[in-house]
Amino acid sequence: MFNQAEKAYCEALLALRNKDYRKASDCFDEALPQYMNNKEFVLLMETNRLLLAVKDRLAKYENEEIEIMEAFAHGKETKLL
Amino acid sequence: MSEYFTLKSLEGLLEEFLAGVVKVKQNRLSVLDGINRLDDISRMSSDGHNINEAIGEWFAEHNQWLDKSVLKDIEIGRIGNLLENISFGISKDKISTPEKRKLASEIDRWNNLAEKTPKKVVLKRHGETTENPAANTITMYDNHLERALNLFKDKAGDKKHILSVLDDSLKSAFTQKNKDALLLSGYIIYYLKLDGYLVDPYVKRLKEAEQMLKGKKADV
Repeated sequence: MFNQAEKAYCEALLALRNKDYRKASDCFDEALPQYMNNKEFVLLMETNRLLLAVKDRLAKYENEEIEIMEAFAHGKETKLL
Repeated sequence: MSEYFTLKSLEGLLEEFLAGVVKVKQNRLSVLDGINRLDDISRMSSDGHNINEAIGEWFAEHNQWLDKSVLKDIEIGRIGNLLENISFGISKDKISTPEKRKLASEIDRWNNLAEKTPKKVVLKRHGETTENPAANTITMYDNHLERALNLFKDKAGDKKHILSVLDDSLKSAFTQKNKDALLLSGYIIYYLKLDGYLVDPYVKRLKEAEQMLKGKKADV
């Protein structure tokens, strides 16, 4: 039978295939103790981690943009009245 | 906003890289996924759950593996072990039903595959190569001629006289310590000399460029 780390690595790869990067990250963390010396594993895990950090940063930008747009819309509305 | 666009670009790049890795591993990943699911079924079987439907679906989905040679020996061995465990779970229940008999026959079919696959040791070594210095020098000279011709075409592009090309080539040989330019300059000088040109000043510059090149080699 597969051990838990093997299953987690497999799940991580499947999550990457489905572009579910958060789930992949959780699975990579679970598999890490067994694969920490596997260069391919570490490369994939760190790339995924970086991608999530970039996505978080982008989400902040996009939220800021929404706030600006709402303020602008509100301004227009008062002008129209 | 430039940081935003940089991040967007990086996001695309990283996603593309991960998708590329997954694509390369696609075949093995589907095998791994199948074995992982069989492993889950085997665990359910050990825990006393009814796995007839799950294992039936697994066979239906993965029977194609029997016809195509997609499995490695180690994977066949793993599947064999998992099926053995599942088979043990099914046979614990003494009541025989058509469904169970069908599953048992499927498991036998898969186990036959495992038995047919001989355990073998493969020793690999690289093919023998013999050093052929003569062939290497011919290839190297051929490559040089190609580079020199390209260099000549580059330099001749906007010039009206061969002496201008020679002047430019000598400059490259001297300032960039470019061996191809040095040799190209030598050819042009010899060509001009045979046609009666006075080439002494160019020969002097050629020697200076040669000294520069030797100096570079000495530095290395």
